[in-house]
Amino acid sequence: MDALVRELMPYVGRVCGAIALDRGDDAMQETFISVLRNLRTLREPAALHGWVRRIAVRESIRIARSGREDPVDPALIVSTAVAPIDVATVIDVRSTLASLAPEQRAILVLREVDGMSEAEAAQLLGVAEGTVKSRLHRARSAFARRWEP
Amino acid sequence: MAMLGPIARARALGASIPSAAWVEGILDTPYDATWPWISDLETSIPRFDTQVRQVRVVQRTPADGAERLRIRASTYGVAFPFDVRLEDGFCLMQARARLYLVLMAAEPHDGGARTRFFHLEAVPLPGTGFLRGHLQRVVDSDFRNLSRLASRGF
Repeated sequence: MDALVRELMPYVGRVCGAIALDRGDDAMQETFISVLRNLRTLREPAALHGWVRRIAVRESIRIARSGREDPVDPALIVSTAVAPIDVATVIDVRSTLASLAPEQRAILVLREVDGMSEAEAAQLLGVAEGTVKSRLHRARSAFARRWEP
Repeated sequence: MAMLGPIARARALGASIPSAAWVEGILDTPYDATWPWISDLETSIPRFDTQVRQVRVVQRTPADGAERLRIRASTYGVAFPFDVRLEDGFCLMQARARLYLVLMAAEPHDGGARTRFFHLEAVPLPGTGFLRGHLQRVVDSDFRNLSRLASRGF
């Protein structure tokens, strides 16, 4: 089972980090606990990755909802003296992501990173396709407002 | 990107095995001194695990950022073969017959001045949950011994 954990770690880390942000490590641990405890219920091995993705998204949303948002680390701002543009952009992206609800971050990850259709994302999250569309619109608008002149 | 540290990875593996018993605590020695001592299995295990008289590494090969070891652990007069995966802060030992599993994981604590240590033992077979109480006494004893050794600087 450790081999399975090692294989899935990079993908689960990306999903949990993008949705649960600073609590991504906790979400990742909870994801693997759930995956390993329920592995025997998975009837079709080919469905493993989709099943793990569903658990990672669900756990990330749950953990992100239960936690508070930590402020941006001042040390990051100090380090802008080394690479002002790149670090400032990273902080901007992080703070914009942090301003979104976990469900909106989940939809951004599923659509923009995993390339899922709105229908597939809706099915995975257990919401209507229209809900996915509106959440995606709000998430994209938040980013657009941040960088509009 | 989120990370699954050695202890979180060990917790996740342990949570999936009904008989798994584990202990997690802080050792009063720096991580940089503690993990090298623990990962020298021939020296460390017989000193904190009173059930093991001797550990002998019979094969050592590098494997994708880790080391694969084959060891023989002598206990009750019998030498049991184990396959080991050893990484920085993570050690998974499985008896060749898959009848016993031992996990050790460690991470720096207090900025590396101390060490957070996780130790788990399990029988990874169905229907063995009743062994958990016994295994808990084993890992608790191991951790007490290890803490005592750490307080003396090993």
